[in-house]
Formats: sequence, C-alpha cells, structure tokens
Amino acid sequence: MKLRSSNHLRARPVAAVGLERMRPLLGTIVEIRARGAEPRLGSAVAAAFAAIEQVQRLMSFHDRRSDVSRINAAQAGTVLRIDALTHTVLRAAWAMSERSQGLFDATIADALVRHDFLPRPEAEHAQPVTFRDLELLARNRVRWHRKGWIDLGGIAKGFAVDRAIETLQAHGVVSALVNAGGDLRCFGAPEPVYLRSPGDPSVLVRLGVLADGAIATSAGYFSERESGGQRIGPLVDPRRAACVSWERSVSVIAGTCMIADALTKVVALAPDGAPARLELLEAQALILDREWLWICGRPRPSRFAGERIAA
Amino acid sequence: MSWNAGPWVVLPVVVVSSAAHATTYFSTEQAQQAIFPGQRLTAAFVTLSDSQAKAIEQASGIDVRNREVHAWKVEGGGWFVLDEVVGKHEFITYAVGIDASGAVSGLEIVDYRETYGYQVRDPAWRSQFVGKTAADPLKLSRDIRNVSGATLSCKHIADGVKRVLATYEVALK
Repeated sequence: MKLRSSNHLRARPVAAVGLERMRPLLGTIVEIRARGAEPRLGSAVAAAFAAIEQVQRLMSFHDRRSDVSRINAAQAGTVLRIDALTHTVLRAAWAMSERSQGLFDATIADALVRHDFLPRPEAEHAQPVTFRDLELLARNRVRWHRKGWIDLGGIAKGFAVDRAIETLQAHGVVSALVNAGGDLRCFGAPEPVYLRSPGDPSVLVRLGVLADGAIATSAGYFSERESGGQRIGPLVDPRRAACVSWERSVSVIAGTCMIADALTKVVALAPDGAPARLELLEAQALILDREWLWICGRPRPSRFAGERIAA
Repeated sequence: MSWNAGPWVVLPVVVVSSAAHATTYFSTEQAQQAIFPGQRLTAAFVTLSDSQAKAIEQASGIDVRNREVHAWKVEGGGWFVLDEVVGKHEFITYAVGIDASGAVSGLEIVDYRETYGYQVRDPAWRSQFVGKTAADPLKLSRDIRNVSGATLSCKHIADGVKRVLATYEVALK
C-alpha cells in the first residue's frame, strides 16, 4: 500500500498562496480559484481543468466521438459499453428521473433538436421515448429498448464542477471555488454568491455566503428566443415533450453541483412539488423574479457561514 | 404566483448600485509561458490592410473590429496571439497559441471584466445606502465574482478564435 504524505509530517508549514484561472469550456466560461501550498497548486488547477475537459469529451452532444453521441447513434437492442464516468452520470440522471416522476428526463433531446437548441444527430428515431427506454446495464453498458436521443446538458455541467472540486481536494488544495457559467461549488473558505436578476441579467442580487456546498441556476435570459410567436428556452417539459419558457430564475443549493444542476429543472417545471423533493435531497431552492426572492427548503446552518441564505 | 407558495419564504429585492467583476489572470509574459513553456517569443505585430481584413471576414464570417494584430512568433514554430472580445456587458482579453501546423495549441483567458447593476435584499445592507443616488456611486468593498446566473455563452470567444485562425492564414502564416 502506498502511503500518502500528510501535512503533519512536513518539516515546516508551506505558506498557502492563491491561483486563479479562467477558460472557455462546456459551452461557457469556467473559473477556478484555489488556495494551497505553492509548488503543487499549479498542477492541481491544471488537473481540475483536465477533469472538466474529460467530462466535456465524454458527454458533449456536439462531439461525434463522445459517449453521448455514440449512444445517440446506437440502434435499439445494441449493447454499448461506455466510460464509467458517463455511466455514473446516467445512473444519477435516471435516479433523478425516478424521484421526479419523469420531470427530469435526459431523453428529451428530440425536443431540443426540433427547436434548434441542439444539432440534429445522424441516426434518426421515429417515436418519442422516455428514460425508461434506455436501460442501464451492469459493467458500464447501456441498451436502447426503443431508440431515442439523450442530452446530458442538464446534469453533466454540475458533474464536471464536482469532478474539478474532487480533483482539487485530492491534490491537497486547502480552499477552492469552481464556477462553470453559474454552476458553482466551493470548499474551504466561504464565498459570497450572487444571482442575476431575471428582469435584467446585468443586475445582480446578493444571496448570502456559501460554504462547502454547490449552487446551480436555470434561467432563460441568455438562451430564450421567439419561435412561432412564442417565447421558448432550452428547458423541456417531458409532460408535453415541448420547450417551455420560464420568467423566473431558479436556483438550487445542494451538497453536490450535479444534484443542484439537475434539481433546478425539476423545481422550474413543478415548484409545487419542490418542498418534498428538496427535503429528500437536503437541498434548498431559490426562485427569483423581478422583485421577490422565494426560498424553500431548510438551510443547513453548518453549510453557511456569516449571513444565512434564508432570512 | 402560479404555484402554492405556502412552504416558501418570500423576500423583497431592491436596486442599489453598480458593481464589476474584473480579474487579470495572467500578464502577457505569464500567458506566453503557460501556452509555450520554455520557448522564446518575439513580438511581430501586424496592421491589417483593407484587403486582409476583408479576406479574414470572408473566411471566418466574423467582423474585424481591430486592425492591430498583437502576435508573437514562437522560436520553436507557431504563434502566440493576444486578442479581445467585447460583449454587451463584458470585455475579455484572451491568448491563443497556434502550433506550427496552424492548429490551436492553447487558449487562456488573460483578463475578464464584466459590469453589473447590483441589488440587495438584506435590510442592513439597504440601510447603509439611504440617500445614495446614481450620481454618487458606491464603492463596494469587494469584487463581485461568484455569479450563479444562467450560462453566459462562450460563443463570442469561439468566434474570436475563429477570427484569429483566419488572421493566421491571411496575415501571419
């Protein structure tokens, strides 16, 4: 067994320094800020970006070599082996689908393709499908019962943030924050968190201070557009198999960014059912409109320092 | 509201002031070393002619707003180009590394600036701003940077890289 070096064995403490980097990834801009011991900090941040790039490579809808594209090209009945990371995200997505009675569903890509939010894959499929039509098998394999398309856009960004955070922790970083275009998670030092106002996304609202937690936000202000006289965004309501518009900004605070990311869609589609679902996942939802901030779910005081998110 | 708001706590938010996120991630030299570690770079700035600008616009489909190309030639082959894109509220300087074959070998954001309006809901926060007007801008004690907003697209950076690659083909290669 390999022994890990631990801090108390060092001859003298190494002063913590800060490092900040920002790169365009995951279709957005990703910022990583980390504090830790000097010599290893640069490689820790580089490894965190590499972890995000790996998730992008495996789960991008646009990259034809990704696992998602391979699943979208596979015919019904074919058993397909995918990367363990992709299988992990699929299992989390399918668990969220079960828990939300299908409100979260990664197999709604056809509605996003129909409304030009995603490019059309080559392998067509005829009938609409649900998450139950893609079976998750043991040993990182999957099989369509009825062929469809998946898009992990509603969960993989949060997972990428979690992977980056875990990578930084594994490298002994003391304190860090990863923000992938609004899906963010931090550990160590508490961080103030802001939301964009849905009335004017260039206006910010200070929420409070987040410590050792994640927050993700879904809002239509940058992505919505007109289609057939209606305003639509890249949020699909599986009950209608259609893209919908939502005026408010919906955020979820949770222990992991993947859960926060996926839950924002569920809360946006069914705020009525939010209290029970949030309770179960130890999460908190924040809905912001032009004038009001609506908060639901118990804030976990241990996770928030200074001002608490809920009043 | 359109849902049963029973279990929800409701708080008002109000407009207060403006704020900004401004971070410099690299100096030019640091960005050069990040993308081309250990290499010697020589400045080779170029001013594009009308016909070159037109050719770049045709090849990339992106407007050329700045005729000055901030480019450095890399000793071991390749180019380092410092470029900027301007969005509605943001201003981004980024560096592109182009290898000897003309492919992107590195991309780093060097400087990011975004301006915001700013709202708070906390009564304590609000009270300190009573009497302040837009003509009397607040100095916020810290930079705003942890925005959990919906995705700010990186499309303008992708467009910028497309323009830089076309610039390489037309004016640097």
